Amino acid sequence: MSGLHSAAGRFVGQSVLRREDARLLTGHGSYVDDIVLPGMLHVAFVRSDIARGRITRVDVEAARALDGVHAVLTSDDLNPRVESVQMQPTMLASMPGAPLRPLANGDVRFVGEPIVLVVADSRYIAEDACDLVEVDIEQLPAVVDFERAADDTHNLVHAELGSNVAQDMAPPVHPDLERVLQDAPNVVTATFHQQRQTNVPMEPRGVIAAYEPSDGALQVWMSTQNPHEVRLACARVAGVPEQLVRVIGRDVGGGFGQKFFTGREELTVVLAARVLGRALKWIEDRRENLIASNHARLDRGTATFAVENDGALLGVFLDHLEDCGAFPVGGTGATGGFVGILFPGPYRVPLAGFHTRAVWTNTCGRAAYRGPWMFETVAREQMMDVAARAVGIDPLDFRRRNVVQAGELPYTSAFGMTLDTVTPAETLEQAAAIIGYDEFRVEQRRAFETDGRLSGIGIGLYVEPTSMGMMDPLSTDAALVRVQPTGKVSVHLGTGSHGQSIETTMAQVVAEELGIDFDDVVVVQGDTEPTPFGRGTGGSGTAVIAGGACRAASAEVRAKALDIAAHLMEASPADLELADGRIAVRGTPSRFIAWAEVARAAHLDSAKLPPGMQSGLEATATFKAPPITWSNACHICTVEVERATGIVRVLRYVVSEDCGVMINPMVVEGQIAGGVVQGIGGALYEHLVYDSDGNPLTATFLDYLVPTATEVPVIEYGHVETPSATPGGHKGMGEGGAIGSPPCVFNAVADALALVGATVTRTPLGPTAVLGALASSYTPAP
Amino acid sequence: MHDDDIAVTMNVNGERRRARVEARLTLADFLREECALTGTHLGCEHGVCGACTVLLDGDAVRSCLVFAVQAEGARVTTVEGLGGPDGALSPVQDALRAEHGLQCGFCTPGFVVSITALLAENPNPNDQEVREALSGNICRCTGYQGIVKAVQRAVSS
Amino acid sequence: MKPATFRYHAPATLTDALTLLSEYGDDAKVLAGGQSLVPILAMRLSRFDHLVDVNRVDGLAGITRENGHLVVRAGTRQRALERDESVAAHVPLLARAAPLIAHFQIRNRGTVGGSLAHADPASELPAVALALGAEFDIASERGTRRADAATFFESLWTTTLEPDELLVGARFPVWSGRSGFGIREVARRHGDFAIAGAACALAADDDGRLARAAIALFGVASTPWRAADAEAALTGAIATDVDAMEVAAAAVRGLDPTDDVHASGAARLAIAQHVVSLALSDALAEVRDAR
Ligand SMILES: Cc1cc2nc3c(=O)[nH]c(=O)nc-3n(C[C@H](O)[C@H](O)[C@H](O)COP(=O)(O)OP(=O)(O)OC[C@H]3O[C@@H](n4cnc5c(N)ncnc54)[C@H](O)[C@@H]3O)c2cc1C
Ligand code: FES
Ligand code: FES
Repeated sequence: MSGLHSAAGRFVGQSVLRREDARLLTGHGSYVDDIVLPGMLHVAFVRSDIARGRITRVDVEAARALDGVHAVLTSDDLNPRVESVQMQPTMLASMPGAPLRPLANGDVRFVGEPIVLVVADSRYIAEDACDLVEVDIEQLPAVVDFERAADDTHNLVHAELGSNVAQDMAPPVHPDLERVLQDAPNVVTATFHQQRQTNVPMEPRGVIAAYEPSDGALQVWMSTQNPHEVRLACARVAGVPEQLVRVIGRDVGGGFGQKFFTGREELTVVLAARVLGRALKWIEDRRENLIASNHARLDRGTATFAVENDGALLGVFLDHLEDCGAFPVGGTGATGGFVGILFPGPYRVPLAGFHTRAVWTNTCGRAAYRGPWMFETVAREQMMDVAARAVGIDPLDFRRRNVVQAGELPYTSAFGMTLDTVTPAETLEQAAAIIGYDEFRVEQRRAFETDGRLSGIGIGLYVEPTSMGMMDPLSTDAALVRVQPTGKVSVHLGTGSHGQSIETTMAQVVAEELGIDFDDVVVVQGDTEPTPFGRGTGGSGTAVIAGGACRAASAEVRAKALDIAAHLMEASPADLELADGRIAVRGTPSRFIAWAEVARAAHLDSAKLPPGMQSGLEATATFKAPPITWSNACHICTVEVERATGIVRVLRYVVSEDCGVMINPMVVEGQIAGGVVQGIGGALYEHLVYDSDGNPLTATFLDYLVPTATEVPVIEYGHVETPSATPGGHKGMGEGGAIGSPPCVFNAVADALALVGATVTRTPLGPTAVLGALASSYTPAP
Repeated sequence: MHDDDIAVTMNVNGERRRARVEARLTLADFLREECALTGTHLGCEHGVCGACTVLLDGDAVRSCLVFAVQAEGARVTTVEGLGGPDGALSPVQDALRAEHGLQCGFCTPGFVVSITALLAENPNPNDQEVREALSGNICRCTGYQGIVKAVQRAVSS
Repeated sequence: MKPATFRYHAPATLTDALTLLSEYGDDAKVLAGGQSLVPILAMRLSRFDHLVDVNRVDGLAGITRENGHLVVRAGTRQRALERDESVAAHVPLLARAAPLIAHFQIRNRGTVGGSLAHADPASELPAVALALGAEFDIASERGTRRADAATFFESLWTTTLEPDELLVGARFPVWSGRSGFGIREVARRHGDFAIAGAACALAADDDGRLARAAIALFGVASTPWRAADAEAALTGAIATDVDAMEVAAAAVRGLDPTDDVHASGAARLAIAQHVVSLALSDALAEVRDAR
């Protein structure tokens, strides 16, 4: 869908072309590596090539002696200046976490862990110097297999924590649940593995830090989703008062969660810049990004469903295990609590329970990746198909019988989560209709029976908790709406746009609210100096939270503008309306005053203002989101599995979604598409592999396989627009595409393989997995 | 500056550029650092992602896999050289904008150059040809939907 | 990810190039298209004190016909194989192999000689050379020699080329008369090195009896691999009688590919068998149609 949409406003609801595009298309964007400061030096890290071991010697003399090298820093130079907790994200500092440190100190805990920081005239020379650093490490047995980590009490990833278990949550199980999981007419259990993946923003991480000793100011350019959090973290780690720290991240080449909190290397570089009093630049290369930035998604779940013979779900239980790696970004990095609570999803599940554990391993740390807890959808949706097959009901029908219907809303889950203004049943039907579910089933049979061809159809249905208001500071955003004397408007936001089109969508919202032209509104963001404190860009929160703040600030500005206009026109503010750059008397459009005239009066002509009113026309307002704004979607795709090669092709892909009122449908569809393709990558291609000693085997783009244009289908969209209760009626949606797609593709492949009795339980579904499944299956005569 | 630096002269976007550089300096780093043309991006530095694609004597190549000294005497066109001098967008750039073929924009210069090269050689590619030609560039944001459509749009315009 | 220092040489003549290679021996490396070498240098997987860039060597690129052979000079870009009409006309297998290599931006730069000298076992061109029985012209200050594709590829990324030697050209025999060709591969993504691939060349007499048959697999062993048993089974057979599936099964007998992150050995083997059947079927169809 593109173009006009039904309930569209003048700007909100329109596929307005993007503000950001012209500079990015012509090579004039401003990413961190594009910034050059006078006298700036370049950083490279010596990293561990051993997963677990004791450092017995670090010799930096030869490196220091190299021409063009300015400093070679070890843990002795940096670590004593910071405590672990200072490096944790602000909101998580009080939570349990890995013992973070700038540089490895005494021991190493994963391959890629930084040990030495080199500062040189260029990155080329810095790497030369890295080659000259000698590090001796006494290798110890590494904890690599996350399924065995918890039981390993001898080899500990973090000896100071006393255990490899990072988190263990087991809410009490309701006796009735225990009963149905024993006695239900059908009790179905399956275990699924999701493989280690990573975010892969096309721009790796990067930072420039410049400390000016004369005034004590620290300027930081960073590829970040969250400039204000970066400022807090840098202030803590560098020991610079927050008001003297400025963080800028103008254009950011993707993040998908990787750049939401401040990474260890970035903080280490900032600290080094503070210590050396020089401007330092560190641009992560792709190898570093793949082995040392963050990993995600490595989960195992055993799902048990109790099902009535008619297909009704009686109770569900999930036993979940996740790998946090050694130094996850953000507390333990564990998402298991969310996975457990969200596991029932959009279904009517009277009884639910879970047990989740997270473990430390000697591997790269876990962090958020687009829908960090999406394993709830993976495990549930894959299990829905397994259960449907077990009770002999088609997976679509099985979902129809269990999905929460409109008439049941608000629906409170077994864990006390209340679904409202969601439409899972509607999107299920819409997606099934668009893809032609029943027709596909007929064709699937025919293709199998006549040619032995294996095709399949899969569904991924989910509700997504977005814009979460129960977790400060993620709950709240602020906007400053500033009207200039000419009537032109700037909107100042604490966001860190990294592809979300915020410069466009938030301008749409403010233009709409103020009744002025889109072209007269500019959005300023990605810089802590001119913007109010904000929550950053992530967690599918911009439309609701930043959008809410924009609306709130616009409302204050508008109210003042109306007061001024009313005074000038001798009318009552209540009789005035704002549209098309004018303030007019409702019903008498010929009686109006131009918006610019009001702005002029507000700034330049105080005599024209109502008695007692101060000059100026701007407002800063905050908006705190409700605890959860649910959005929902249904993904359905069809695939073909080539029996001879195990190659899977996605044939058609449909997403029917409800993100409430769309600010910009083009942008909504773009966000969905990106997420879907990441999910296709997760289901079929992407896999970070370690050998049993903890060596990463997929440290290049030839080995870590991101889908390209030849691997992806055309994505078809359906929209259901049910306004949320938030101002504007929006719901978050940035992550959803990546949540629904992996189980959708998995289910389609499993559906195809089921034709010959083959089963799969692990991703990625590359040729090895698919051929393996086919080889160990029986092949009934067509 | 080292004694064994090598003088190199090339024409970049119509301008003559001279510099003395280390032999190991990649063309990508030359463009970014010596010419301050930062539109050429580095997404992998090992030839896979395509973000660094430029035209070398008219052919699209990875500038991370060419040394600057190898471009001695060559004509190099970067993304900055494809639009109009007044900032006007080329048909390919315009089509990418119209079809929402970019989000974070980091991969975009590489796609602009690759698509420009594709259409110069094959003004009427079919869907398969378009996708194969795009497969040497990675985008993590768009799922390629808008990019594929943009090529089709640029073809029909 | 930046390369270490090296001294750069850009000889303009073959003689100068050979002098440099002879002078620096093990410390020098030939730089052709750079599409394999530069990533290795950037990742600092190996380093060389001297790079001898052969891109400016006069006469090192170009495609010519020479009594029964198509001679492809080493510096010829892989892209030229797709565009050159004489390649399509005389060595169609080469023309069909080229688009399977990487992406067009890489083929614009990568050379035929570089691909052969780099000898990646999953590369298309070494397998094509092996299947067709190509010969390689090799020069050094010590003189010139001609090597057979059959013995040139020694092991993973290793050929019989000595450090002072330059691959100058490859001579691909023109299979004239009633012949057919096929090349097929399966890769994880389009443009990736193949999990497994097969190149097949057949020549038949007027009765449709196969006089020559060649099948070379790539991606399945440490070098491109010739399926001698399958070839023997094909030779003398009537093209229309051949059961491609059966031959394919014979072709991979004895292969034992290793596991890697892209495919297990078993998956690789199954895929190899499949691509042989496809490449062979293509070639057989062409033989049948070429009356
Ligand atoms: C992303 C990507 C994907 C790729 N996919 C494929 C693929 O699918 N199939 C495939 O076959 N290749 C693939 N390649 C490799 C590509 O084809 C290379 O171009 C080729 O392998 C090497 O050729 P080159 O001219 O670039 O050689 P270079 O990289 O310059 O050199 C490679 C090696 O050969 C030596 N050498 C080069 N020329 C000579 C000579 N004339 N005499 C002696 N030694 C010489 C060099 O010293 C070096 O050791 C890919 C490359 C990349 C970056
Ligand atoms: S940076 Fe050159 S291909 Fe990725
Ligand atoms: S737009 Fe972000 S990588 Fe392509």
